[in-house]
Amino acid sequence: MRIEKCYFCSTSVYPGHGSAFVRNDAKVFRFCTSKCHKNFKMKRNPRKVRWTKAFRKAAGKEMTIDSTIDFEKRRNIPVRYDRELVQTTLKAMKRVSEIKKRRELAFWKNRMALARDKHRAHRKKKLEAAKSSAVKLLQPTTATPEASKTREKIKVASKSRSALVQGEGRAMGMEID
Amino acid sequence: MGRLRRSRVHNARRDVHRAARTRVRTRDLDQIQLLDLDPKRRAELEAQPLDFEKPGLAQHYCVECAKYYETDAALTSHWRSKVHKRRCKQLKEPAYTIEESERAAGLGRAERKPPTVAAVMEDVVLAAT
Repeated sequence: MRIEKCYFCSTSVYPGHGSAFVRNDAKVFRFCTSKCHKNFKMKRNPRKVRWTKAFRKAAGKEMTIDSTIDFEKRRNIPVRYDRELVQTTLKAMKRVSEIKKRRELAFWKNRMALARDKHRAHRKKKLEAAKSSAVKLLQPTTATPEASKTREKIKVASKSRSALVQGEGRAMGMEID
Repeated sequence: MGRLRRSRVHNARRDVHRAARTRVRTRDLDQIQLLDLDPKRRAELEAQPLDFEKPGLAQHYCVECAKYYETDAALTSHWRSKVHKRRCKQLKEPAYTIEESERAAGLGRAERKPPTVAAVMEDVVLAAT
């Protein structure tokens, strides 16, 4: 029995869980959930889907080169049972995971620090751009007092006579008998 | 801080379920990249024998897009199309494989070491007892 890895999101697929698709060239694609299977059927590239492990590794969000990652391996040669070996392996596993955890934290902190600097620089740049392109307010010009006192006469053209002939030559008034 | 959805992503593609059936499954990018684009295999695919089941009797095949065309004119106009160019661009970067998914999960592959003399001798002794 083996714990397989999901083709799409790279999580562990335990025996009796998930599903598999065998392509006509005998390649076995394992999926942890129907979500991953559906995404596969849509022919999406896991490297471009943000929630997958492949994306996170490819985009530098997680450690890729580290000696603590290299322990887990697909081994096709069975090892004869040895009580001593099992005990030391278990001890080593605990220790390795401890180191791995610490290194991951350090990696994350470093990544966040870089991101913070980048974010800060970006904000500063944006602020400066906004400042340079902002509308400049001018001092309000005071109106001269004389001009405001004497009102200017405005000539309005009188209404021109309408070209329409009212009532087409007939009287417009009401006819009352 | 999520990805903002681009506009104009809606596609009026109907019947997605029927299109995703296993029997209509087309060749994957990794198959095309690793096998079909090989010059020898490419020549084979481009000069296929007459097949009455395939469109255009399997005489006009686009290797990159894994698609048969009816006529030579249709094939040449396809080569000039956006769909084909997009596909060629996709094929330029290495395809995603099962090995990569395992590597992303942190699962390496143990190299098979050639059996040492001592190990072989031990096996022989065990077999003899």
